[in-house]
Amino acid sequence: MTIIKSSNLWFKYSGSSEWAIREVNIEINEGEFVVLAGRSGCGKSTLMRCFNGLIPHFYEGEMIGKVEVCGLDTRENPTYILSQYAGMVFQNPDNQLFALTVEADIAFALENLSIPKEEIRERVDWALRVMGIEELRDKSSLELSGGQKQKVAIASILAMRPQILLLDEPTSSLDPFSAKQLIDTIISLNQKYKITILIAEHRLDLLLPYASRMIVIDDGRIVLDGKPREVLDKHDVMPYGVSVPRIVKVATQLKKSLGYSFNHVVPLSVEEFVEILRRWRN
Amino acid sequence: MIVFENVEYVYPNGFKALRGVNLEIESGEIVALMGENGAGKTTLLKHLNGLLKPFSGRVLVDGVDTRRTTVASLSRKVGIVFQNAEEMFFSPTIYEEIAFALNNFRYPEDVIQKRVGWALKFMELEEYRDKSPFLLSGGEKKRLALAIILAWSPEVVALDEPTVGQDILQKEKMIQIIRQANQQGKTIIISSHDVEFIADIKPRIILMSKGRIVKDGPAEEVLTDIPLLQECSLLPPQIVSLTSRLDFLGIRPKLAGPEEIAVEIARRLK
Amino acid sequence: MSTILRGLQFYPGKTVIHKLDPRVKLVISLLLMMTAAIYLEVTIITIVVAVEALLSIIAKVFSRWARTVYGAAPLIILVFLLNVLFKLSMPGQSLGFQSIYEALQLAYRLVAFLASFSIFFLTTTPEELGMALTKMKVPYMYTFAFISAIRFTPILAEELQSIIDAQKSRGLELEKGNMITRLRRYIPILIPLMVNVLRRSYELAEAIEVKCFGAKKNRTYLRELKMTKRDLTVLSISITLFTLAIYVKLFVKLNIP
Repeated sequence: MTIIKSSNLWFKYSGSSEWAIREVNIEINEGEFVVLAGRSGCGKSTLMRCFNGLIPHFYEGEMIGKVEVCGLDTRENPTYILSQYAGMVFQNPDNQLFALTVEADIAFALENLSIPKEEIRERVDWALRVMGIEELRDKSSLELSGGQKQKVAIASILAMRPQILLLDEPTSSLDPFSAKQLIDTIISLNQKYKITILIAEHRLDLLLPYASRMIVIDDGRIVLDGKPREVLDKHDVMPYGVSVPRIVKVATQLKKSLGYSFNHVVPLSVEEFVEILRRWRN
Repeated sequence: MIVFENVEYVYPNGFKALRGVNLEIESGEIVALMGENGAGKTTLLKHLNGLLKPFSGRVLVDGVDTRRTTVASLSRKVGIVFQNAEEMFFSPTIYEEIAFALNNFRYPEDVIQKRVGWALKFMELEEYRDKSPFLLSGGEKKRLALAIILAWSPEVVALDEPTVGQDILQKEKMIQIIRQANQQGKTIIISSHDVEFIADIKPRIILMSKGRIVKDGPAEEVLTDIPLLQECSLLPPQIVSLTSRLDFLGIRPKLAGPEEIAVEIARRLK
Repeated sequence: MSTILRGLQFYPGKTVIHKLDPRVKLVISLLLMMTAAIYLEVTIITIVVAVEALLSIIAKVFSRWARTVYGAAPLIILVFLLNVLFKLSMPGQSLGFQSIYEALQLAYRLVAFLASFSIFFLTTTPEELGMALTKMKVPYMYTFAFISAIRFTPILAEELQSIIDAQKSRGLELEKGNMITRLRRYIPILIPLMVNVLRRSYELAEAIEVKCFGAKKNRTYLRELKMTKRDLTVLSISITLFTLAIYVKLFVKLNIP
């Protein structure tokens, strides 16, 4: 089932002379795990803002074309409606938490939506549990580490029970270990809770093994779109500012100049590569 | 050149950021401080130019105890590019932004002009000379932050998490700049938890955890010690993870470029 | 100054006073202040301060409370001196025992005020204060502004420190020069701070938008204040005592200093 659909989408921020999004036609299905890749400023964030109504409602500018999220036209539905279908998590967790306790932050959106108290309690409990942060409930966000803050930020969006989660470089300020933990949690949201994920990230080595789809954006345009393995097997994505995992580089090198194609299977994780090599040797 | 002798530092809220750090950095080295957030990397960097003074122990820069001099005079020797240096711009033009420090250090006007011109050229920002620093792109802002420090040619350039929020092309540019500056004789100190970035530079690595130095050695040695990296909440570089599991091909864990590893795998597969 | 501020900052605890409804605490604080306001007698104000001290002991914040009062000493002395000067400037006044005594009374009254404030803020979380505001029908917009101000103050302080560090590392010397040049030296600190605040507020606005701020007219609340029997009992006792104080003031001739 198509959950996000954009047809001939163009967008230009007011005051800018350049189109930030150019002719984007995209269909995303329920349950997909989509990685958006591309250099800084290529339009990844802008595209995600188009999917929850921040564009055209919060950001002014010129929008051509149409976006439908869960069957709702983003032009005709305000952000607070669209947010309940496509929740957005931003880069800097500090700017997404404004209450004095974790619990209050997670309840915030639900209170704004005038949801009855009992249901808020249930949903807050659920969001805390899903993100594995029940012990943080009464903490102040000042006491949390960067990784914990970002988990709280995700929980505060999850509490609205969106079908889609849009994540804009959520790990960029985290150290590798916290980043891995966060990405593992995001993966579980997709696998266990069937939430459709769209994530813009530079740490592809941690994400690609689980991603069902990789979309490369350059200068506001979708230049590559497909299963990560296929995209990486057929194309050189380096010039688009995409950090190719090192093992993919090793595999590419083996294929290109040394004649080992491994039946065109690009390994996305170390485990997978080791397995391929083991089989190849026997 | 830089000596830390049993340095301890406690923040006013009671957080013990450094717990007895001993360290020597020679002129012309490239050194990476690695460790998770909160390990003490930034606190250590701030001791280099006297922004923080040790609670106990001492820090010597060129033989001078940092407690006996000012931040301004230490900064001429040690330039620090902070993680969010691009949020510290305030001048109407990029030229003035770079000239600010040179004015503070009381360089004569003709020297300032020459130095700013050189820094703009080195960082490929010449065309923006009279533009507002706020109008630059993310990567350009990072280069301006570097130009600001390099303009007064400090002997030591310290970079705090230079790759945060940067894409791969910007990171490669950064590596190129670091190499060039080092070839010009600068001592480079990088604080970072970006293992892949550091693996590309292959510097001497000082691994920190909870305010202590737990290992000090060449990148090839530190980054292939997987249990130790995990103890410090760091993930090993992907190449190391791969090679550490290829003993059935007779390959030992090692830190090398993808090309080199590919050649080795091909040789063993034959 | 910082000691006074620390005395107005919540200090966690699980005492009876901490658990009291913030509205009741607010009322008690106000009643204590009003008592100090209607009486000038040193004895009565001493009783008020003693009651406040007792409350702070029950709340296990006595040392912090005492430090606030102590920390306010310069302010109180200033008020005392200003009062004396003011009295002297009045026509026909000379510096006598009476005028000094009156100035002392006023300054002493200030101690009672401050001490009362301190108890309230030491034992009430900003969150509870926010909930109290909501219950008192203050529009949510203002409560939100109040809460986020508290939330972001430490973050801004940290940001300010990192800007100062960065500019000092560029050779900025804040301590040198006269008033005017010193003020000018703050430009490299104030501009980035303002730019960052603007950028942050834009990002906050975006985050608030996706969290449906202002979506519905009638917002619900997960946590609301509820008066318990204990709260009501404490409240009625306090009001009774205050009524007694007014009664004494109006109808009893007191012969105490």
